[in-house]
Amino acid sequence: MAKRSAFAHQKITNFWVTLRKISQSLALIVFLAFMIETGLDRAPHDLTNIPIRLSPLAMLSSLISSRTFLSGMTISLILLLSSLIIGRAWCGWVCPMGTVLDIFHFRKIKSVRTLPERLRAIKYGLLIVILFSAIFSNLTLLVFDPLTIFTRTMALSILPVIDQIITVIEKTLINVPFLTESIYQFDLWVRPAIFPIEPAIFQYTILNGIFFIGIILLNLLAERFWCRYICPLGALLGLFSRLSLVKRKVKDTCVQCHLCELHCPTGTIDPQKEYTSDPAECTLCMNCLKECQKKALTFSPSVSLAPRSDYDPGKRTILNAFLVSITLTALLSIDWVKRYPRNHALRPPGTDSQTLSSTCTRCGLCLKVCPTGALQINLAESEIEAAGTPVFIPRLGFCQYSCNACGQICPVGAIPPLNLSEKQNKIIGKAYINPDRCIAWSDHQTCIVCEEMCPLPQKAISLESGEFSSPTGGTITISLPVVNREICIGCGICENKCPVAGEAAIRVYTI
Amino acid sequence: MKKVSRRDFLHLMGVGIGGVTAAQLISGCETDHPSPTKNPEPSLTPLQPLPTSTPTPSPQSTNTQQPTPPEYPYLVITHGEDPEQHVRQGIKALGGMERFMKSGADVIIKPNICVPYHTYEYAATTNPWIVGALVKVCLEAGAKRVRVMDFPFGGSAKDSYRKSGIEEQVNAAGGEMEIMTTLKYREFDIPNAVSLQKTSVYEEILKADLLIDVPIAKNHGLAILTLGLKNLMGTILDRGAIHNDFDNRLVDLATLVRPHLTVIDAIRTLMANGPTGGNLSDVKVQNTVIFSQDTVTADSYATSLFGLLPQQLGYLVNAANRGIGRLDYQNVKIEEFNING
Repeated sequence: MAKRSAFAHQKITNFWVTLRKISQSLALIVFLAFMIETGLDRAPHDLTNIPIRLSPLAMLSSLISSRTFLSGMTISLILLLSSLIIGRAWCGWVCPMGTVLDIFHFRKIKSVRTLPERLRAIKYGLLIVILFSAIFSNLTLLVFDPLTIFTRTMALSILPVIDQIITVIEKTLINVPFLTESIYQFDLWVRPAIFPIEPAIFQYTILNGIFFIGIILLNLLAERFWCRYICPLGALLGLFSRLSLVKRKVKDTCVQCHLCELHCPTGTIDPQKEYTSDPAECTLCMNCLKECQKKALTFSPSVSLAPRSDYDPGKRTILNAFLVSITLTALLSIDWVKRYPRNHALRPPGTDSQTLSSTCTRCGLCLKVCPTGALQINLAESEIEAAGTPVFIPRLGFCQYSCNACGQICPVGAIPPLNLSEKQNKIIGKAYINPDRCIAWSDHQTCIVCEEMCPLPQKAISLESGEFSSPTGGTITISLPVVNREICIGCGICENKCPVAGEAAIRVYTI
Repeated sequence: MKKVSRRDFLHLMGVGIGGVTAAQLISGCETDHPSPTKNPEPSLTPLQPLPTSTPTPSPQSTNTQQPTPPEYPYLVITHGEDPEQHVRQGIKALGGMERFMKSGADVIIKPNICVPYHTYEYAATTNPWIVGALVKVCLEAGAKRVRVMDFPFGGSAKDSYRKSGIEEQVNAAGGEMEIMTTLKYREFDIPNAVSLQKTSVYEEILKADLLIDVPIAKNHGLAILTLGLKNLMGTILDRGAIHNDFDNRLVDLATLVRPHLTVIDAIRTLMANGPTGGNLSDVKVQNTVIFSQDTVTADSYATSLFGLLPQQLGYLVNAANRGIGRLDYQNVKIEEFNING
């Protein structure tokens, strides 16, 4: 009888771990599907930006910084309030970043050294610095929000790299005669289904990839290093989790066998404290429940506040974080190198550098949704403060006249949700021709590509005829493109399509 | 620490060099392969059987050769409002679609779908009902499949197909919209080129049993007018290359990509701010459609709708001089129809 109940118990505990793994896999697939759908124009933008709107950290900081409440932000309350009931279950059961870290756990090659518990304070420090900086309208540190990291890395690094690899394989195999048709059929499927028709290429693909891989490699030091010590979203949920209804409890049948401690991914089970754990650290992964041979563990509801840990933020942490955020905000807005005015740092339609750096969550969804790859992540184009915000680089892609997707997808309205005709009248910059590089102006050869491309109903580039003396004698008449800057909106298709190699002979400058 | 022996080192070097060479061989195949074996010649063969398609530059000689047994008009002009009636009347006058294709033929229709900015009323893209009617006529004549495609410059093909209204009409008529993926382009030599020695063309277009060029007549800064010949630029990958020495290179391309039938949509013509358009005040309703096997002749006639002469378009003059087609549309057998009555 006792044996049978032990068996049944084992079955139930295994069931919880299996359920958690299924939940993690499904959530990862759903998050990936959201990323793939973003920019394929099949699902509404309000749906595909949910991964970012779920993050209470991004939403709260954006709310504080921009002093604007958007109804779309409320969805993040689900996540925040869930932590009052089930603690950091988000981290263990849903978070795509956590799932990736579970996949690359490195248990076999990791050193067994334990890291000091005090390190757990880092994430609280980071959280408080992010929130204080938001008061000073600085959101630079949102680059550390795990959901923005995930979307940014998928959009900028992982999906484009897979796309490139597939393209190279296709281009090689399509030359094999008997494979041609099947490769072509595969391409017809994969292009609209998974990848955009024209693959976007991003600056800093490798840098973003390294950031992500770096976080994974930290797993070598400790399992879920990121979640334990750094993740500011985990810290926010952790603070609420101390009140969590469902908590892990150790009964007195515990024989102190260490098994639960060994299998805890966040290392929060403390032998010194009778194998209890901190609800602010526990991800409810249920590994301990599964391992415990003595049925000494329960996850049961009780209304209580978890006891303070040494690493929990106190008055002193908050004060320090306040000072750090003042210093940081000041330092990030300093002009480190005396720069000449950066009049190439164009921004998405309807926004400007200042607004962007104080409202943008750095999620990268606008980059993914842009059909021409015109939006790129900002690193060196303007102030460090604006790192991670989108810049518009016409030479890499133009702002398509009949597209307003970036404003529609932006989860916080950092790029305003303009309708099409509003967007078509927003001035991003103004085009200037460099007559020293222009084929028509300088080489006296016919080229009117910029005029041809200009999408405005009344073209902002007109052709004037110019007479030049020909080297063979006599005069030649050439059509010369001239920009009418009164009506130019700076969409950049002229710069993008200019056939001059390298830097275009017509460029869009900020106004 | 294990020492690497000289032998191991040499092995590794060997493997490395071998790998690099293999990679170069593979990538080498890609560029070397097409040009010698895939010359454009075979694609031109379907043109030959057509009775009047071989153009004869001088009007005198054609007058004497004219009385061939089934005497079809060289140029058909239709006037009226209903696009489908235009197509039915025009093709019927040319001898029916059966004259241009056998049952089971693979047909490609190349309209002008350059941008996804505006609907067809703005006359930047070909009239969707004309394209739809052509699909129907081909299918009625027993075509195996009819594909419609263009490579837009101002946005994605998907958006442009949808916005132009062409997708809807083509699907309704039973045709397929095909997205021109870069995978299907191949570099071809242009044997008698003056300026453009080689270019990458969408291979399916050269392989099609019947290629119908369906431009919309509109204003263009460089070409003055964009018509049938200019519409062929949508079949190649590197359009930038054509913009230099345009009047010669466009004709070079026209020696490689030769539509069997040209249908110029001049129902609504864009008179200024082309090729992109956006102003209804720039659109002139002309309710005319031009049909010919000779793209140059069709283009030449279209110039008259803009108050121009074919001689004013450098590429048309060059095309006629190089025997691609006839500039003197006044001297060919024309049939005009008014389809309203």
